[in-house]
Amino acid sequence: MKAVEVENLTFSYDLEVNAIDGVSFSIESGSYTTVIGHNGSGKSTLAKLIAGLLEKKSGKITIDGFELNEENLREIRNRVGIVFQNPDNQFIGSTVRDDIAFGLENHCVPREEMDDIINRYAEQVRMTKYLDHEPTLLSGGQKQRVAIAGILAMKPDILIFDEATSMLDPKGKDEIKRVIRDLHRESSMTIISITHDIEEVTTADNVVAMYKGKVAMCGTPEQFFADPSQVRKIHLELPFAMQMEEELAKQGLKLDRTITMEGLVEQLCR
Amino acid sequence: MGNVTLGRYIPLDSPVHRLDPRSKILAMIMMLVAIFFPSGWIGYAILFAVVSFMIILSKLSFGFIWKSMKPMLVMLLFLLVINILVIHTGPVLATIGPVTIYTDAIMQTLYIVVRLLLMIMITTCVTATTKPLDMTLGIEDLLQPFEKIGVPSHEIAMLISIALRFIPDLIDETNRIIKAQASRGVDLKEGKIMERIMAILSLIVPLFVSAFQRAEDLANAMEARGYQPGERRTRYKVLKFKTGDYVLLACSAALVVCMIWLAYFR
Amino acid sequence: MPIKFEHVSHTYGEGTPFCYNALNDVNLELKEGKFTAIIGQTGSGKSTLIQHLNALLLPTAGTVYVLDRKITAGHQPKKLKSLRQDVGLVFQFPEYQLFEETVLKDVAFGPKNFGASEEEANQKARAALRKTGLDAEYEERSPLELSGGQKRRVAIAGILAMDPKILVLDEPTAGLDPQGAAKMMELFDSLNREGKTVLMVTHDMEQVFRYCDEVVVLENGKQKIQMDVKSFFKDPELCRQLHILPPALIRMKEMLEKKGFEFDEDIMDLRSFSKEVARQVKKNG
Repeated sequence: MKAVEVENLTFSYDLEVNAIDGVSFSIESGSYTTVIGHNGSGKSTLAKLIAGLLEKKSGKITIDGFELNEENLREIRNRVGIVFQNPDNQFIGSTVRDDIAFGLENHCVPREEMDDIINRYAEQVRMTKYLDHEPTLLSGGQKQRVAIAGILAMKPDILIFDEATSMLDPKGKDEIKRVIRDLHRESSMTIISITHDIEEVTTADNVVAMYKGKVAMCGTPEQFFADPSQVRKIHLELPFAMQMEEELAKQGLKLDRTITMEGLVEQLCR
Repeated sequence: MGNVTLGRYIPLDSPVHRLDPRSKILAMIMMLVAIFFPSGWIGYAILFAVVSFMIILSKLSFGFIWKSMKPMLVMLLFLLVINILVIHTGPVLATIGPVTIYTDAIMQTLYIVVRLLLMIMITTCVTATTKPLDMTLGIEDLLQPFEKIGVPSHEIAMLISIALRFIPDLIDETNRIIKAQASRGVDLKEGKIMERIMAILSLIVPLFVSAFQRAEDLANAMEARGYQPGERRTRYKVLKFKTGDYVLLACSAALVVCMIWLAYFR
Repeated sequence: MPIKFEHVSHTYGEGTPFCYNALNDVNLELKEGKFTAIIGQTGSGKSTLIQHLNALLLPTAGTVYVLDRKITAGHQPKKLKSLRQDVGLVFQFPEYQLFEETVLKDVAFGPKNFGASEEEANQKARAALRKTGLDAEYEERSPLELSGGQKRRVAIAGILAMDPKILVLDEPTAGLDPQGAAKMMELFDSLNREGKTVLMVTHDMEQVFRYCDEVVVLENGKQKIQMDVKSFFKDPELCRQLHILPPALIRMKEMLEKKGFEFDEDIMDLRSFSKEVARQVKKNG
């Protein structure tokens, strides 16, 4: 079953240049997919289109078999949750508790059920201790965890992280990556992570690489990294293991392609 | 900005803090009305006693009230001077040089001072004991009956609570931009008129740009979490009247009646 | 010696209930012409520290020496404006400070504030724009309609146009894609080679490892470590104690050492490291 199917999608902000230009790809239900690309490649725009926050110019987006259109918009938004980049600008409530409740209120969840739900998801992102804290007292990583709890409480099938770690310090980045990993392991949710982090790509099931509004590559990380020159061509860097593998090849030591440091060490010690 | 006390919430635990914001807002309105009846010094004495009692009950210090009052002092002094120059009725109190001071001038000023003091005490007592969000919930509920005549009470409350939520962020942002431009040689305190205008522009334009960015992000975040203005939603926080609230409302109503009696039927 | 901190402390909101001690008895000396990284966790005092360099913040105790100025707690310093010209401070996400109608005007804004004539300022602005890789076609465009990465470059050009002797950068590559970040770092590196003293607050150890000469580690408002980059990364244990993830090369070295490889401490670049690995693999295999 496909969670997301995008066919020939086109979008433009200013009617001149297409920010998304004839894009087609699909994402398997329950998979963890990274969307990678240079600044301005259209990856965040793509995320907003899938979440139904922007209106396409042409093409087709299908979510869980529902075509995204005016009629289905509500349904689609219920199925797709999105966590944005800036931790400050998506904290709506005045406390952690209120912020998680915000989405529940919109979904007309009866008040009596809210506390249970809030506690459950606060616990999942390890924010139970901070339920009555105001956002000014929280770190960036904590605010992003609250945003995740707020989205999870709405029980989406598809969860998009739109560069959700890019404004965080290393500690915050680790916290969020850990939450994402746990979610992927413990739930059947489809996870789409928009990122700059090439090392994150190596841990995903699938990669969609964007370049200047088009899909440059779509497949497994191994397929993506099979041709290093292609990766460089779309303005991306190689993971450290591959950089080293290239250097070793120059020294006359040929190894099998490997994208993780562990894989490299294993080959070297054989 | 750290020195502003008027309208600031002080997190304490007191019986007044625990009251329902709706009853506090209603009581505040009633008391503010009560002040404006010409109930004479006895009336003011009663009001003063009641309000002081509320402040003690709310565990706020009178020093805090005094701080709120301070910014008004210049204005009051100015008022006193005007009154002395303009009001020439009542017995003469004193003559200093060419200026003759009449008792009515002093009395008139004193009336205003007392009223203003009472107003500040009452409003501070409410704003300092009610969380901004609870305040908006209270306002939303109180405006509910007016929804029939087209007052969008929920939207108003949402607007106020979001504004309150982002005020600290905007203050931070402003400070950051001031510093960034100071690093580029902007001097807000000196310079020719043109330079001053540029300096102010260099703050205002970035502030607007970032505020719009924020608004867009926020709109996206709200929409993504299913918010649709004008549509029905449930509410997590519900306000409940307790005994204290009824007592407060009854006392406030009694106070208004008392002031009317003192002013017109005595 | 361009920068020296002597027993510098900074307390925000002194005498209020919100009083907060951001810097606590910092002693620091930075030599001319170095590229220094300032690292530490969020809240360790990095931003407070760098704002002392151009007197946006004044020490609440101690003395800061910058170039030939002396800023002592309790004394209102003179010649503030010229200090701000000599120490170019680039804030985090500097694209938010753009406000002029055109890119050229925005970049020339700094030099003009410091008394340059229109012509002179434009000339400096053009030179700075070229350095950041923006050619003439950008000059007349509105800075607000550029892409995020371009805006960042315009903002940095705005500081470079002031021709500062010391360049202070607060996470200058945050939010940029790897290639944009690498280009930016190359720019700072070349400025440093031209003789500018550069200080950079960063969380990115790969950048520190690759470009910087010295590391200053702050922890809870105290300066914990100051040493040259090579010695700093020689001991991955030290990084771990400071909750810092060592650069990939160092981690790789450590992993291989556990498997019996042996490396000279001074191997710090990928090429010579790979060479050594290949040699040892061939010898044993």
